[in-house]
Amino acid sequence: MLSLENVELAVPSSEVPLLSGITLHLPGSHFGAIVGPSGCGKSTLLKTVAGILPHTGGTIHWRGRNLDEQDLDPYELGYVPQFTCTQPRLTVGENLQYAARLRRTYTARQVQEVVQAVEEETGLSDLHDRRAGVLSGGQLRRLGLAMELTTNPSLLLADEVTSGLDPKSEEEITALLASLAGQPGRLVLLVTHSLRFLDQYDSVTVLTGGRLAYGAHPSGLMSYFNVASPEEIYPALAERAPSDWAEEWISSPAELGFEVEARVEDWVIQTQGVNEEKTSVPGFWSQAFIWFCRRWKLFWRDRTQVILQFALLLIFPVVVTLFAYQGLPAVRNMTMSPDTDVVQQLRETLDFTVQSSRIGTLVSGLAMFQVILLALMGSNNSAREVVGDRGILEKEKLAGLRPGAALVGMTAFLSLLVLVQSAWMTLFVRAVCQFPGDLVGQFLPFALITAAMTSLCLAISSWSSTSEQASLGSLYLVGFQLPLSGAILALPEFLGTVIRPVISAYWAWSGYLQTLRDTRFYDLVRAITETPMAGSQIAIWILALHLGFGLFLAHLGIRRSDWR
Amino acid sequence: MGLVLASVFVLLGVSGVFLFQKDGNPYRTVERLKPADYLENGNSLRGNTYQLEGIIASSLGSNPEKGRLFSLRAAHGEKEWPLPILVPPGFRDVNLQKGQRYRLKVKVNEGGLLEVEEMTKS
Repeated sequence: MLSLENVELAVPSSEVPLLSGITLHLPGSHFGAIVGPSGCGKSTLLKTVAGILPHTGGTIHWRGRNLDEQDLDPYELGYVPQFTCTQPRLTVGENLQYAARLRRTYTARQVQEVVQAVEEETGLSDLHDRRAGVLSGGQLRRLGLAMELTTNPSLLLADEVTSGLDPKSEEEITALLASLAGQPGRLVLLVTHSLRFLDQYDSVTVLTGGRLAYGAHPSGLMSYFNVASPEEIYPALAERAPSDWAEEWISSPAELGFEVEARVEDWVIQTQGVNEEKTSVPGFWSQAFIWFCRRWKLFWRDRTQVILQFALLLIFPVVVTLFAYQGLPAVRNMTMSPDTDVVQQLRETLDFTVQSSRIGTLVSGLAMFQVILLALMGSNNSAREVVGDRGILEKEKLAGLRPGAALVGMTAFLSLLVLVQSAWMTLFVRAVCQFPGDLVGQFLPFALITAAMTSLCLAISSWSSTSEQASLGSLYLVGFQLPLSGAILALPEFLGTVIRPVISAYWAWSGYLQTLRDTRFYDLVRAITETPMAGSQIAIWILALHLGFGLFLAHLGIRRSDWR
Repeated sequence: MGLVLASVFVLLGVSGVFLFQKDGNPYRTVERLKPADYLENGNSLRGNTYQLEGIIASSLGSNPEKGRLFSLRAAHGEKEWPLPILVPPGFRDVNLQKGQRYRLKVKVNEGGLLEVEEMTKS
């Protein structure tokens, strides 16, 4: 049984509470509708029950348990939001399989059985192999519901899942929800603007201005509001202040029309199995692995992304080598003999200066060019990774996905991209331009700059509200790397000391050039740049810190609640 | 909590700088050579070890058994001083060229010459 006592939700941005004085008692095996005009707090109430929005007053009990003290367990709750929460590139069956595997510890056979059962229950059996991206609105809503049913929740909350559907689909979804409420002990709550199918509901909760105007069987609805048809209820609500309606409901409520107490025994019996269920949420590493598997599959299903990744992988190193496709030029050294006459010495010095400028700029530029292109690839890897599927992530967190497991899954996938990108860039440019120096020493700063930018852009993605915002933020991050690295123009000494620690490109550039230390190329780069060169160990250390900091911020960003 | 962890990252960064400072100057614990003192009376410094930094100016001579003798433009204060340095045969793999900047750990040998014990590019 769901029991709300005087529930209130106040937010600092509004003087009037979004919800106030909501008292409701709903039994199990019950289909309730929450209706009301736009902005009355229907979805807010549903999110409050789900625990997405923490109430600021009153109490909510589920099966006799105070949810302030012990929150709903993920498998107890099914929440279907307004937006689509499916992966369009996965089939119906795959969406359901991953939903089941992320939420419960099932064997492969059990997953198959659960998927089959919920497909039959929701009428999706014929669409098992169809991609979610080509489903109709009604089919998508069914899939959203089916994904929640994989954990067999006892409290199913559906937020406007019938909105925007054609009348037939709306009727079918409402009938489906009614049938789902037929399962013993399951309470289904539907938020809807529509008053078309009142006869389907066991109860109707009418809200106005965040206050409860009615909460009983639909049969008494029209007489209570003294209207001839359901369509007249909203205009009638507008005629009086929400507080008047709320006071009237408290002082003279209509007959409930359903038993609440009689069902209590049902939920007492059902809660006996809860402790067993608690252990069935998949472990951290299992969730991370499932997340990784799904991400891997999604990557290969997104043809545009695959082509873009391969294009960047192949084109970027080629662009770098255009500047030295015949290999790095040979360095002519000055005569070491002290007997050389002054004119000859001056001529040699002049030639050497010209050469230093040309070759030093080339080597430094090639190093920085690789760094910047890898940084760009890093930002492309992750700028939309979190924000692009934020809704799905929030949904899955509510269903029991650990933010840390999601991050590990993402990191594992992104690490593969980073390794391929940095290894190919290092090898290709080294082979074509014939860079001397330690291969591993050159790969490390390149792998770390790519990883650091990937993690920092992942953090930006996890804190952004939109994909555009994340892309722009990531682009700025990469864009500022070149000028602030000091590789092209040296920064004033104080400014350089302050800024360099946070510029990943500087450390990667320095770390890479350190591998040329025993060659003349290093001398020539030193001759043309005033920016101090960091040692290879400190460069690796700082880049690793940037990577860790990005992951830390990304974890915080993924962990925060961001329902839109 | 976030602030604490952010501080941890800054702390790690700073500790890393200290930890890997040897990247910057591996001979920072060795006394710097004062070229003026050396040029005035090199013999009095015999047996001492110093660090110095400078640019290879020219080759002065070479002997397979004794090594290579170079002229080094050593920076000290705002001045540059020409100093003779002896690079022993053990460093024959190092490709020393005019214009290269090196950090050196040198010992004033019995003949009063600055003999290289360790060297690294700066």
